[in-house]
Amino acid sequence: MPAFKTPFNGYAVKFSPFYEQRLAVATAQNFGILGNGRIHVIDLSPAGPIAEIAAYDTADGVYDVSWSESHDSLLVAAVADGSVKLYDLSLPPTSNPVRSLSEHTRETHSVDYNAVRRDSFLSSSWDDTIKLWTIDRPTSVRTFKEHAYCVYSAAWNPRHADVFASASGDCTARIWDVREPGSTMILPAHEFEILSCDWSKYDDAVIATSSVDKSIKVWDVRNYRVPVAVLNGHGYAVRKVKFSPHRASVIASCSYDMTVCLWDYMVEDSLIGRYDHHTEFAVGVDMSVLVEGLLASTGWDEFAYVWQHGTDPKAP
Amino acid sequence: MAMRELVTGGAACAVPGSSSSSNPLGALANALIGSSSQKERLQEIPTSTLNTSGSGSIYSGGGEQLSALPGSELEHPLHREGSEFINGFHAANDHSHRFGDIWDGIQNPHLHGREGQANFHPRLQPELNGPPQRVLSSFLHSFVNSSHGGVPFGPTQLPVLGLSEGDKRCIRDRSSIMARHIFADKTEDFINGQVNALLSSLEIDSDGHGQMPGRHTELEQYWGESQSQGMPLPPADGWADEFAGQQRHNPNAWALSFERQHGAGGWASEFEHEQTQMTSVAAGAANIPSLAAMEQTRMLAHTLAQNTNPKFQNSKFLQFVSKMSRGELTIEDNQVRAGGDWANEYQQQYNTGSWADQYAREEVSRWGDEFANERVHHGPVDEQWVNEFSKLEVNDWADEFGRQVGEGVLGDDSADNWATAYDEYLNEQAVMKQKSESSRGVYVFSDLNPYVGHPDPLREGQELFRKGLLSEAVLALEAEVLKNPDNAEGWRLLGVAHAENDDDQQAIASMMRAQEADPTNLEVLLALGVSHTNELEQQAALKYLYSWLRQHPEYGRIATPQLSESLYYADVARSFNEAAQISPEDADVHIVLGVLYNLSREYDKAIESFQTALKLKPRDYSLWNKLGATQANSVQSADAIHAYQMALDLKPNYVRAWANMGISYANQGMYEDSIRYYVRALAMNPKADNAWQYLRISLSCASRNDMMEACDSRNLDLLQKEFPL
Repeated sequence: MPAFKTPFNGYAVKFSPFYEQRLAVATAQNFGILGNGRIHVIDLSPAGPIAEIAAYDTADGVYDVSWSESHDSLLVAAVADGSVKLYDLSLPPTSNPVRSLSEHTRETHSVDYNAVRRDSFLSSSWDDTIKLWTIDRPTSVRTFKEHAYCVYSAAWNPRHADVFASASGDCTARIWDVREPGSTMILPAHEFEILSCDWSKYDDAVIATSSVDKSIKVWDVRNYRVPVAVLNGHGYAVRKVKFSPHRASVIASCSYDMTVCLWDYMVEDSLIGRYDHHTEFAVGVDMSVLVEGLLASTGWDEFAYVWQHGTDPKAP
Repeated sequence: MAMRELVTGGAACAVPGSSSSSNPLGALANALIGSSSQKERLQEIPTSTLNTSGSGSIYSGGGEQLSALPGSELEHPLHREGSEFINGFHAANDHSHRFGDIWDGIQNPHLHGREGQANFHPRLQPELNGPPQRVLSSFLHSFVNSSHGGVPFGPTQLPVLGLSEGDKRCIRDRSSIMARHIFADKTEDFINGQVNALLSSLEIDSDGHGQMPGRHTELEQYWGESQSQGMPLPPADGWADEFAGQQRHNPNAWALSFERQHGAGGWASEFEHEQTQMTSVAAGAANIPSLAAMEQTRMLAHTLAQNTNPKFQNSKFLQFVSKMSRGELTIEDNQVRAGGDWANEYQQQYNTGSWADQYAREEVSRWGDEFANERVHHGPVDEQWVNEFSKLEVNDWADEFGRQVGEGVLGDDSADNWATAYDEYLNEQAVMKQKSESSRGVYVFSDLNPYVGHPDPLREGQELFRKGLLSEAVLALEAEVLKNPDNAEGWRLLGVAHAENDDDQQAIASMMRAQEADPTNLEVLLALGVSHTNELEQQAALKYLYSWLRQHPEYGRIATPQLSESLYYADVARSFNEAAQISPEDADVHIVLGVLYNLSREYDKAIESFQTALKLKPRDYSLWNKLGATQANSVQSADAIHAYQMALDLKPNYVRAWANMGISYANQGMYEDSIRYYVRALAMNPKADNAWQYLRISLSCASRNDMMEACDSRNLDLLQKEFPL
């Protein structure tokens, strides 16, 4: 499938949960260090080139983007100026963003939409907090402040509407229940910064964490003394980790070593695929919920790729 | 592999039964072992305390205090901004944008950076042509592109302002946080240095949200810096300079972030007070740390260059970071300039600099006295300081200082003493450096080498090595590496030949060259580990043994990267035990384990490991030698002789085994016999200096003082006649 060239450095890519051909790509100028950002919404077509159906500019880099689980046209974006912005594809560009929620005092680094309770989403920020939002409120519902350093990612549990996990540079991952006042579990998962976490889509007690220590660890939160699996193979910090929506033990990851890897943490030779197509740090990866084996990635080489597992991402 | 039987053997040279301390050599041995084990302990302490304090503060520090906060919020979930607003927001959908805009207007000022845009463009359609963004971005990209194509970067004019405070903060915070992800393998110092270098080339003050939390790195760093620089400067100055340099532009933000990390405190305000007082003094000196930063960036460039992955070589981002941080690019007076200009300018500024003048005006004499006093009491500290200082522009500084002294600014006595002492230090240092370089890692070639010009010295060397003509093989291999300095195999074989010839210094030097040529060669790594073990250099040995594990295709995954920075014996041993469990049939793992146990002086375990390995590789002569040496070290010299004999049966020209055999005999008090073996070894390799020393000891223990002179003059013919084997 053709690649999509973004004018800025890619930061995140997400498949739409409603349309199998649709993706959103978050980008930032100058490697996200300084400059503008842009969100691209693109449509794949079986024959022709990738079509851009919308693009939204921001005054600072966009670090992450997440599709709404309730409205097919709604997007939420994590912007480096600390804001969380909502975009509605069905409205004209001049009306967007429909919301700009500015509470984080530093860069917002991730957003995640709740797939069960479909009106709420989380944002995590370098101001060490995680915020819970609902789309009908102009302020956050709650702020979770326990981490001692940047929170790079927060991810909802796919089964339990109230449970989420967070990954932080303070070398811990934490499990939270929004009904509880504080975190319910602290997982000292790595000895280096933890950059990303994700829940298994099939076992609601299993999470994966990825770290600057180049490893991915899989944990059972019921027994977190030792990891269920440690996946080594990336040569640099592992930027994002993502469980497959189709196979219980399959994990996708991308890394500063410029590769995207596919893992099966249940088998002995866990590394089941390595894609070397990016020429700069690979920082965004996603797996389609609607098409099994369809992967997307983006990186600082200003390209977004979509490909079927087992095929060459660069093949036209 | 001489497991330094000298150490135990020396003791046995004394009358059996007498205490080893009565023997000077034994005392030396004790001192050696004692000091090395002390060193181990010293190295363990900081690591372990660091770990506990680090994790402790991370896990307990933040959580306790803050856990109440979300709970209280939970009780009043919507008390925040008034529900009227929300109702309005819901009721009139049309107005939502307006509300949204108002909302943005309210909120945006709280955001850092982009003051202008946030206030003047409330609709959040960003001003894409804003001067900072467009100019910087086009400038960065033209730079990146030009460096990509290898075209020299042409200076461009930056029309308007450089970077706003907010932009600078963005660059600073983001680059320091990102650097921690990208350069995770490196030390904190390295990362800080790199970020500081990047920032200083952009004329941005460094500060620290990028710092890791909990470990109080800021404090540690400043403490460390003030300590290392500290002695000569009036302490407050050095310290304040550091801070003032960081604080000039946004003291408040800094204080806030500091408060956030370390709890609010009167300290910060006190500091601010201090800082205003010091600002004038600081102006000249604030740049000093960035010179060190530049130095560290050179290390970065080196590291980058070492990554052989072509993708990394081509990475625009890495090129960008490294160029920027090398100071090859800078924004100054709204002009972008390439390269060396900056460094020159800096140099000038520094040399003629206000710093020295400033310094002279600042209580130089008090400082001189203070220094002289300190020197008397703290010799070593000073030396450390001199080291530190000589990294900066020592000569210029010394000149400057000399001038000052000449003008009699200083009190005469102390100044003269000091100046002389300082010169001595510099000389000593230079000599020390030369010495350590010649003994460490610098290969010394033989003078006259008949094999230079040989058409295929490598093959010749291999042949000679196979025949056991080690000294000849060394010459041939030297010719090979002179011809092809990048031939890892040539260097490796040369190292092996030296090791078998009982010359660990040369073995280490050649193995290090082999490793440079081929960093992943397992045999080289193992050999380096063994050689350093022989030299009782635990850290170096651990480093190479651990790299062996990391590079090994099967066991690489056992080796966790975080270990490699601070190697701790127990961790390494555990990893290898794991490896041994994974494949008990791999003799190499058992060999490494044996070497490791030698390091920790657990000889019984070491013997066991080597014996296991020998079951798998019964014809490995060097392995028999290792077993023998270990047995000798654990006072089983009789067994050792059997092992050496096995080695010699397999390889009759194994100099090291002959010499070790001698040591074992000496250990058992059979000095006559030991002499024969030493002489035999020396006949094969007269350059084995260690063996000459052993021979001398044995001669004196055997009351053969008549042969002392032959030994001292290295008259092998005579010795061989007198002591035939």
